[in-house]
Amino acid sequence: MQDSLLKKLLLRTQHSSRLWAALAALCIGTTLLLVSVLIWWNFRELLFGKNQKDTLGSTFLIIGKRVTEQNMGQPKATIFTKADIDDLAKAPQVQEVGKISSNHFPVYAMMGGKLGFATDMPLESAPDKFIDKMPSEWEWQPGKRDLPIIISSQFLDIYNYVFAPSQGLPQLSETAVKSIALNFKIGNSDHTEVFLAHVVGFSDRIGSVLAPQSFIDYGNKTYGQPGVSEEPSQLILKTLDPSDTRFANYLQQHDYTTNSQNLRWSKIRAIVELVSTATGVLSLLLMSISTLVFILFIELTIARAKQSLTLLLELGYGPKYLSNFMIKRFLPLVLGTIMVSAIGVIGAQQIVANMAKSQGLNLAHLPGWPVWAALLVSTALLIILVIKAISGAIRKH
Amino acid sequence: MQLTLEGIIPVPLREKVSTGKSGLWNSKVSFNKGEHIFVQAPSGTGKTTLIHILYGIRTDYSGSLQWGNHKLPSTDKELLATLRTNNLSVIFQDLRLFPELTAWENIEIKRKLTNTISSEVAAQWLEQVGLKDKKDSLGSTLSYGEQQRIAIIRALVQPFDWLLMDEPFSHLDHANTNKCIALIQSVVAQQKAGMILADLDENNYFSYTKTVLL
Repeated sequence: MQDSLLKKLLLRTQHSSRLWAALAALCIGTTLLLVSVLIWWNFRELLFGKNQKDTLGSTFLIIGKRVTEQNMGQPKATIFTKADIDDLAKAPQVQEVGKISSNHFPVYAMMGGKLGFATDMPLESAPDKFIDKMPSEWEWQPGKRDLPIIISSQFLDIYNYVFAPSQGLPQLSETAVKSIALNFKIGNSDHTEVFLAHVVGFSDRIGSVLAPQSFIDYGNKTYGQPGVSEEPSQLILKTLDPSDTRFANYLQQHDYTTNSQNLRWSKIRAIVELVSTATGVLSLLLMSISTLVFILFIELTIARAKQSLTLLLELGYGPKYLSNFMIKRFLPLVLGTIMVSAIGVIGAQQIVANMAKSQGLNLAHLPGWPVWAALLVSTALLIILVIKAISGAIRKH
Repeated sequence: MQLTLEGIIPVPLREKVSTGKSGLWNSKVSFNKGEHIFVQAPSGTGKTTLIHILYGIRTDYSGSLQWGNHKLPSTDKELLATLRTNNLSVIFQDLRLFPELTAWENIEIKRKLTNTISSEVAAQWLEQVGLKDKKDSLGSTLSYGEQQRIAIIRALVQPFDWLLMDEPFSHLDHANTNKCIALIQSVVAQQKAGMILADLDENNYFSYTKTVLL
């Protein structure tokens, strides 16, 4: 009964419509803050997350030394020396450098049936960590007859949209290509070996045919032409922001060539990052305003009950007792509002994760720790501010 | 709990006190537990000011005031709350009821603070002063006389060492005054408490152990 009497005295002037408006403002502020952290976190996950098959946060570039009128016919002129590689590793924005090794031994690919063909086949290999979609079958060791290969997605596009229609051949899906086996004959006239090659994946990053590093090493060692340099003529770079002019200048100065499309993608990424940061700042501002609105509502409620509050203090009610009474009334409302925001954000993440999945991107179904940390910090701050506002307003009497 | 006043001069009465003679202002006075003090105070001599100073509501004075071991004025509002809950009770001249609460709720809001007096006893007191049928009437609808009787009961539903009264029967007729005196007398005796009654004129409501002319 005591609480109901205090409620009658201290909260009677509390307009329910204003209370709901203040709570709605708080709910919107908290939700926006959490959503902006969620956007930022999802963006980071997509760019730099370990779960991503393709690290969108880094741009991979394949570079080579430009072939000019002067160095034409001098294979050694386009080779990357150890000094070149060491220097590149220190270049602006470069995170990692990988060598692309090519075959120095003859490879002859053959296939029978309707799609029958036979051709010399150039092969390359790159360190595993530079492969964008690593297939589980990606391994080879001497003695093994089955050889996994990864082909450039562009090859399939050229076949399906250019070659097949012009030759009256059927178009092929990725799955269909994976079921085809090719015979790879390697070696020289003295000794040859035949391997059964299977396409196990497609790469958007590397524009050729990749075989496991162990296979290229084995072939070069066993059947390689003597005197041919082991040094690579192409390198694969993992870069943070290749649109950085310092990086572009570096490439220009050294006369290295690369695909400029990748540089543009990086620019777009920088813009998205800027937008996500701006959203965060804006939502922080909105959260602050909504918190202020809620605190002012509490102070107004207490100010309206000034007369009753003064008399209660005169009758022997302690400020601490009255503060606790008010805190017990307002805190559940604050916590309930924050819970609604949290549930909303969890729901949003489920939707975003499903949408991302349909785009072939991996996102967790629950918000990550930065969102929970933001929730925890904003809740703690809000609780402290509400307690301070109530205690302060009551102590003034 | 002993009450000691030493050299107290309320700021608004400074001039008056310096020119006139008072048995309490600017003097050292001690009241012992269980004493019944009558403060006779002609109009304008600071009767209500005194009760408010003793109760810790007013702090605009010089000098010192001691309730037992507690020194007033105190900035510790929790200490004041404890004193007002367990040691001091007051009947204000201006009654100070909550107009939005019923007569019974005005008593309950004080009684529930300590729960030392049962609701049955409080209801019995309400009946004793003739307000049983006004139990559910809002404070704002009660007459001054009814409000005064509710204020008296409200002051009694707590433990106290001292009961401070400021013209406690100013709105009551003889019959109701006598009922209230009987009730106050019995509760004060039960609690072995002291009382300080401030009024304009001499009276024999209680048998006083000391009379002070303000």
